[in-house]
This record gives sequence, structure tokens and C-alpha cells, in this order.
Amino acid sequence: MPSELRMIPLLPLLSAAYLILFGRRHSRESVHRIACLAVGAAFLVSADVFFFWFPILYQSNGLTDLVGTWLASGDLQVDLALRMDALSGLMCLMVTFVGTLIHIYSTGYLAHEQDYARFFAYLNLFCGAMLLLVLGDSLPVMFVGWEGVGLCSYLLIGFWYGEAANASAGKKAFITNRVGDLGFLIGMFLLFRAVGTLDIPVLVDTARAGSPSLTAALWWGQPVAFWAALFLFMGAVGKSAQIPLYVWLPDAMAGPTPVSALIHAATMVTAGVYMVARLGALYLLAPVALAIVAGVGALTALFAAVIALGQNDFKKVLAYSTISQLGFMFVGVGTGNFAGGIFHLFTHAFFKAGLFLCAGSVMHAMAGSGDITRMGGLAQKLPFTTWVFRVCWLAICGVPIFSGFFSKDAIVAGAFATEVFGPRLHWVGPTLGAGLLVAALGTAFYMSRLYCLVFTGECRADLDTRAHLHESPFAMVGPLLVLGLGALLAGVMGLPPALSRSHGDLIGRWLATALGRQPEVSRALQWRVMATSALIALAGIGLAWRFFGGGVREPARRFTAAWPHFTAAVRGKFFIDEIYDWLVVRPLRGLSRVFFLVVDRILIDKLLVGGWTVLVDTAGRLLRLVQVGDVQRYLAIFAIGLAALVYVMARPVAPSEVKVRIEGRSATVDLTEGKAAVDKLEYGFDFDGDGREDRVGAAANANWLYPRPGHYQLRIRIKDPRWNTSRTIARTIDIP
Amino acid sequence: MNLAAHSASMAETIVFAILSAGVLVGGLLTVTRRNPVSAVMCLVLTFAALAGLFATLSAHFLAVLQILVYAGAVMVLFIFVVMMVNREESTPIARQGLVTRAAGVLAAGYVFYRVAWLVSHERTLPLLAASATPPVKDFGTVSAVGALLFADFLFPFEAISLLLLLAVVGGVMLTRHVREDHSSRVS
Amino acid sequence: MPTYAYILVSLALFFVGAAGVLLRRNVLIVLMSVEMQLAAGTLALLSFSRALGDQKGHVFAFFVMALAAAEAAVGLAIVVSVFRTRRTASLDEVNGLKG
Repeated sequence: MPSELRMIPLLPLLSAAYLILFGRRHSRESVHRIACLAVGAAFLVSADVFFFWFPILYQSNGLTDLVGTWLASGDLQVDLALRMDALSGLMCLMVTFVGTLIHIYSTGYLAHEQDYARFFAYLNLFCGAMLLLVLGDSLPVMFVGWEGVGLCSYLLIGFWYGEAANASAGKKAFITNRVGDLGFLIGMFLLFRAVGTLDIPVLVDTARAGSPSLTAALWWGQPVAFWAALFLFMGAVGKSAQIPLYVWLPDAMAGPTPVSALIHAATMVTAGVYMVARLGALYLLAPVALAIVAGVGALTALFAAVIALGQNDFKKVLAYSTISQLGFMFVGVGTGNFAGGIFHLFTHAFFKAGLFLCAGSVMHAMAGSGDITRMGGLAQKLPFTTWVFRVCWLAICGVPIFSGFFSKDAIVAGAFATEVFGPRLHWVGPTLGAGLLVAALGTAFYMSRLYCLVFTGECRADLDTRAHLHESPFAMVGPLLVLGLGALLAGVMGLPPALSRSHGDLIGRWLATALGRQPEVSRALQWRVMATSALIALAGIGLAWRFFGGGVREPARRFTAAWPHFTAAVRGKFFIDEIYDWLVVRPLRGLSRVFFLVVDRILIDKLLVGGWTVLVDTAGRLLRLVQVGDVQRYLAIFAIGLAALVYVMARPVAPSEVKVRIEGRSATVDLTEGKAAVDKLEYGFDFDGDGREDRVGAAANANWLYPRPGHYQLRIRIKDPRWNTSRTIARTIDIP
Repeated sequence: MNLAAHSASMAETIVFAILSAGVLVGGLLTVTRRNPVSAVMCLVLTFAALAGLFATLSAHFLAVLQILVYAGAVMVLFIFVVMMVNREESTPIARQGLVTRAAGVLAAGYVFYRVAWLVSHERTLPLLAASATPPVKDFGTVSAVGALLFADFLFPFEAISLLLLLAVVGGVMLTRHVREDHSSRVS
Repeated sequence: MPTYAYILVSLALFFVGAAGVLLRRNVLIVLMSVEMQLAAGTLALLSFSRALGDQKGHVFAFFVMALAAAEAAVGLAIVVSVFRTRRTASLDEVNGLKG
């Protein structure tokens, strides 16, 4: 199997490492040449592998490149292996292709940036991590890529970290993703416990075989597959910005626009969709999990589309649009229509990257401002940008011929036709389909509003900005044109079979081996969906034109006046950020404060750190008193110690046991000598405590007959005559 | 016990009494003298009497060495230093930490009392009661001790000579004048 | 004379020396007391040497004497050196090790 597979992620990663270490030494030209060449070479290598092994990718499980064993711990064996199959090959091509275009675009967009090398290093790093995510043959390798893209996302959102808002937006993205990643990890653990491996092909085969290890009930009567799928989906929710973890994506627009286009529209945020599609077989085992995926997707699609209606920042509108479109994709994969979801992922990558790059081009012209209330009439000033925007806009709206039309239809038709939910949940599919149609109407409306406010009517910018309006340089316009072309034509990959029997659903057929069975969509349904969505798209555009054609018109103002609360809520994004702030951030911050004050300040700083210093300090202060610096006193203390030693050693050793036996009125005392028993000791026994010794001699035992019962004090004196030392032992004796 | 033996023993006791009295009185005087020069002189007396005691122990070589090395060379060294360093001492015993040091002396006295008691109590032990010169040929003479030194104890003997050399060099180094100017090679 | 008598003299001399070391302020007298203690040790060595009929005690006494000479040389050198820098020969004024 081809070992050049490892070159695909390695090239950008190496370039990233080089640029991070030595980028500052190179001129701008060298930096972007290295960066673009690395990604471009990765694209060429993937294309080479892809087309060379085309039949194999199509028919089999794909190609594996085993680099080595990464982890071997007990039962866990994880290989650092890359796999290119029909799905990951396609993703790989898309990531490297769009990545290369955006690298080229960035050379123009960031021409005046100081930290040029750092930007391209991060961008390269991102491409490497994304390719690792796509090509990873096991969940841990995929997770490395997953975290890698998260890291790059964080680094690039906060690229202009000089402004606190950008830095905190980066942190927000990172932390929100952590919540999802916890789910991803738990999902991995569950799968490992159930199946004993984390290799994706093995997992997929196990799931396809319907192995009892996955269908056994785990918690609340739901099978392992359900919980694993649900937790993995939690990771996808974080990464792909779905409800309830979508809040980071709008803020992520703080990063440079090429980053928004590459990471937060075309590639990274679709990782969740890709992951669900890869593990599709697992999800098919758990219809409820699929329903949750699709339900969350549809809800997000609608919700984000509504919020997008009221946003006035060019990139924010696009961000909510991305969230909404990701919802579409999740409905696609959630209805078992994996090919449809991936198809939309593709077309979306083209038109959304195109839209973002247009936004970049417009903001470039507008001196960095993205406020659409200050734009208008830019069509004359930015002809190329406008044309590309028009194509992408029509694509996202779902106007026939354009790519978005076909991919959206594939999802909607799949939702209506799906049977994966089983008889009890059969109503879910059509409901979601209907919801998506409403979301499509919203999409058409807000995108058209955006188009109208930016490109039609009179320019509302101030004179200074207006004077400097200019079309972007070729480095930016070139990629735009390519992406526009893609947005126009990418639909060819998935024409509905109703339109073309021989060339219909190319992508579905291509992915059939990798993704398994797809919902069967009847011809009549295809026609119906096409007709309806075309009408909806046109209706949305028409409505938007009535409201905003050539600037904000009378109906829009009337609507705002009639529904002030609704408008305010939409403008305020339904205050989700504020709600999260109250529900999560503030309690957490309070808790952290308590921990800071109690644990950190008092327990650690005061007691654990301060306590020891106080202890050592006090000990030092006390011991210092001993250090008088007077040799004679040291010697005197030495002499005292010696005397104490002599005192202890010279005394007779205490008997290890004093045995007292009482028989009637007779008491017998027997001393058992200790280990260091010495001879020539003298013993004196005073039995009645009158001070006179009743028995004296070398015998260690003596007896005494008491005249009458009572309570007596027994004193035994042991004398060592050689040292002239003695020791006294006292006991009490009760004579009954 | 015949008369001759008795009178010899008597004479021996008298000699021992005089010599040990010299040793102890000399020692006490040494410790109590205010003027170091007098102290040195008393110490000479102590060491001379001690050499006599050595002689009564048949340690002829050591007795001669005691006179030569101690009462002679070392004491001359002391006299030199006393002459260099001598300053009037206002108080012979420092006030500071007197309690501790007095306690130290008492402790030393206690140890002395214990060991002295033990020795007197056990004086009938063969080891402590022995009073005759051992039946060893040339006991304590230069030739006998010298033979031991150069045969069995040759290595320690050479080591001690090295130690003496080191002491000489160290003494010279310590007392050398350290000049302030940098032309001096000593720093 | 029996050995124990010599040992008692040796003990007494050692105690007198110890008292001198502990109490006197003048460094020179302290050094002399130390010499006295060493000499007391020598006396004990020689006494037991005779009692045991073993001349190794003489060899050790010889070593002690050599050691005492070395000690006197170095000790007096230190006294001279300290006197040069501090103009004192009193032990209580030399307390550079004070904590």
C-alpha cells in the first residue's frame, strides 16, 4: 500500500514547524511560497493517490498506510495508520484544494500583516491536523487531528490577540469545544470497552454485522451503540457548532477572514458531519441516536437561520448561515442519507468559502469594516467579487442549476423518504424535511437581504471609505473565481437520478461502498422536492427584495415596528450568550472564586506554602539561639551530653519484668533481668513500705509473709556497686 | 614481705606521690594563672613531672621525648607566641555563657567522679593492680620502641611525619603577612 | 605503684585540663589545657601498656605526642593570625560562627 499517504498530512505539518521556527528569517515571498507549496504539494499527492488507485478506492475498504504502532497498552493497540477510502479521499481532495486556494488568497488579504510567518505556520498546521483527522484510521488518530484543528482554530481566532475581544473569542471556542471533546472521549471509551478496538474499519464492520457487543443494553434500556453514538455526537456538536454548543462560531469571526473561510466554514466545522458519516454504521444501529442527530440538526438549521435574519455584521450573518447549513448536513447524516450530508458538505465548502472570501474582499475594500448597514451599491466598485458572490448566493439559496440546490434537495428528499427510524419514529423524517424547507426559506431570505444591503442601492459608507473602494488584487480574486466556479458546478456530482439516469447521484454511487445503504427516493418525490424548494428559494429571494432591495425599504420598517420584541430578540441572538453567561459562566466563576479564596489563598498559599515557611523560619530562629558562636559553650554542651550518656549507661539495667506472686499472705517477688543482665548487682527489697529493707543480697528474688491483709508499697532497689549507682522500682501489693 | 622490698616499695610510693603532686599542682596552677607566661612555666613543671611518671612506668623513650618535645620545643613555641600576643586580660573568665560553661565543668566533674569511682572500686582487677615492670626485654627503651615503630608501624609512622610536615606548612601559611598591594603573590 | 594510681592521676589531670578549656578566656591558656589533656591521655596509654606488658602503647603515645606537637603548631599559628586581624586573644571575642 502506498506510503506516500503519510506525505499528505506531513507536508503541511513540516512546513508549519519550519515556519514557526525559522519563519521570521524569511521574506514574505519565501514564507508564502513555502506555505502554499506545502499545501499545494499535499493536494497534488492526494490527487495522485486518489486517481491512481481510483478503482480500489471505489470497490474496497481503501488503502492503508501503517506508519507504526503508536500505543500498545494492555488490550489497547493503536496504530498510527492512515487510510484513504472513497470518503476520506474525497475529503482529502476537498481540504487540500480549498486549503490551497485560501492560502493563495491569504497572501493578498494579509499583505500588510506584521506576523506573516506565524499566520501561515498556523494555517499549515491546521491543514496538517485536518488531513490527519480525515485520514486517521482509528478514532485516537482522528482525535489527534480533531484536537489539532481545535488548537489551530483557537490560535487563529485569537491571531490578533492584541485585542482582548479576539483573545477571549479564541478561548470561548476552545473551551466550548472541550465540552464536546469530553463527549468524544467518553464515546471512544464506550466503544473500546464494548468492541475492544478503536480501529474505524473494524468498528464499522462490527456495527454492520450487528454484533451483540454493540446492541447489548447499557443504560436505561438503550444499547451500547446508542450511547457511544450519542457521546460521539456530543463531540460533533461542539466541533460543528450545533445547538447547544454553537455559541463559539459567531465569535470565531474575530479571526482573519481567510481563517473563517477555511476553518469555520469549509473544513473544520464539517468534521462532526464527517465523523458521523464515517461511523454511519454505528449510528444506523441506534435509530434514536440518529433521530437526535437529525433533530438537533434541523433545530439548529431553523434557529440559526432565524438569528441570521437580524444580524448586521457581514461575517456574523455568514457565521449563522454556516451553523444553519451544518444543521442541514446533520439532518442529512441523521436520516441515514450519509451521501447527501457529505454532498452538501462539499457544495457548502465551495459556496461558503466563496462567500467568506467575498466578505474578505469587501471588507478589504471597506478598510476592515464588516457593518452591512454602512455598505450598499458595491456591485460597481467590486465587479469580480460581486459576480462570485452572486453565484455563491444563488447556490446557498438553492436556486436551480446551482450546486446548493441539488445538495439541499438531496437532504430534504432523503429526510422525506428515510426509513431508518423504524415504524415507531417514522414521522420524524417528514417533519424534519418540512422544517428544513422552512429553514431554506429563511436561508434564501437572509442571504438575499445580505446581498441587497451590500451590493445594491446607494453606498452608505462615509466619503473617505467610499473614495478608497477598490477591487482586490489578483491573489484574492483568482481563488474567488475558482471557488465561484466550484459553487456553480459542484452540483454535477450529485444530480438527482430523476434528472439524469446515467449520471445521477454520482457521489452516492461513489460512496456506496464506504457508507453503506442510502434511503431510496422515488422519482415522484424527487420532482416534488425540486419543485417545492425551487419555489421556496425564489419566494425567499423575492420577499427579501421587497424588504431590502436597494436598501432598507418600507415593508422592512413596518415589520420592525409591528414586531418590536421579536426583532429585538432576533437582533440579540435570542440572548443565548447572556443565558449561558448566567447559567454556566457566572456560577462557574463564583465557584472558581470560592476555590481561589479558600483552596488557593488559604489552604495552599497560607497553610501549605506559608505554613512550611513559618515552620522553617521559626525552627531557624530557635536554632539560631543555640548557635552562639562560642566554642567553649559548644564544648560545655558536649561535656553535658557525655555526662548524660555516662549517667544512663552507668545505672543498672531495669529488669524486663517484675513478677509478683501472692499466695495467701505470702508475696514472692522475682525479677527477670533484661537482656544486658549483669552480675554482681545488689538487691534490696522493702516489702511493707516502712523505709527499711527487709531482704538485701545478691538474689534477684525474695518472699515476705505479711502479718495482716492490707495495701502495701513494695520498693525494690537495684544497686550496681562498681559504678555506685542504683535504681528503684515501686509496686503496690494488695494482700487479701 | 621483707624489709628491703618494703623500703623499695616505700621509696617508690614517695617518688610517685611527689611526681603526681607535681603534675596535678602544676596543672592546677597552669589553669589558674592570670599571666600566660606563668602558665607556661607551670605547664613546664607539669610536663617535667609527667616525664618522671613516664620514667617510673619504664617508658624511658617517652620520658625523654616528653622532656625534649613538650617541655622543650612546644613550650618554647608557646613562649614565643605568648610574647607576640600577650595582652593584659581584664577578666580571666568570660561572663558570657558562664552558666553553660560552669554546667559543662560540673558535667565533666561528674564523669570524672564516676570513672574514678569505678577505677578505685575495681583496683583489685589484675589489669589495674599490676605494679611490676613486665618481663619484656628492653621494655620501653629506645631500641625496643624504635624497632616496633620501624617494623609494625612503619606506615603510620610515615603518615605522622607527613602530618607534621603539613602542620609546619600550614603554620607558615597561616602566619604569613598578607599585603594589601597586588604585587604580592599571595592573595 | 599499681596501675590504678596512675590512671587516677591521669583522670585528674584530664579533668583539670577540661576545666581550663571550658572556663578560661585566654586562647593560649586554653591551648595549654588541651595539651595537658593530651598528656593525660598519654599517661593512661603508658600505664596500661606496662600493665599489659605490650609496647604498642608506647607507639601510640609517640603518635599522640607527634599529633600534639602538630596541633600546637597549627593552633598557635591560628592564634597569631587571629590576633593580627582582630587584635585579640580572647575566645569570647572570636565568635564569627554566631548564628
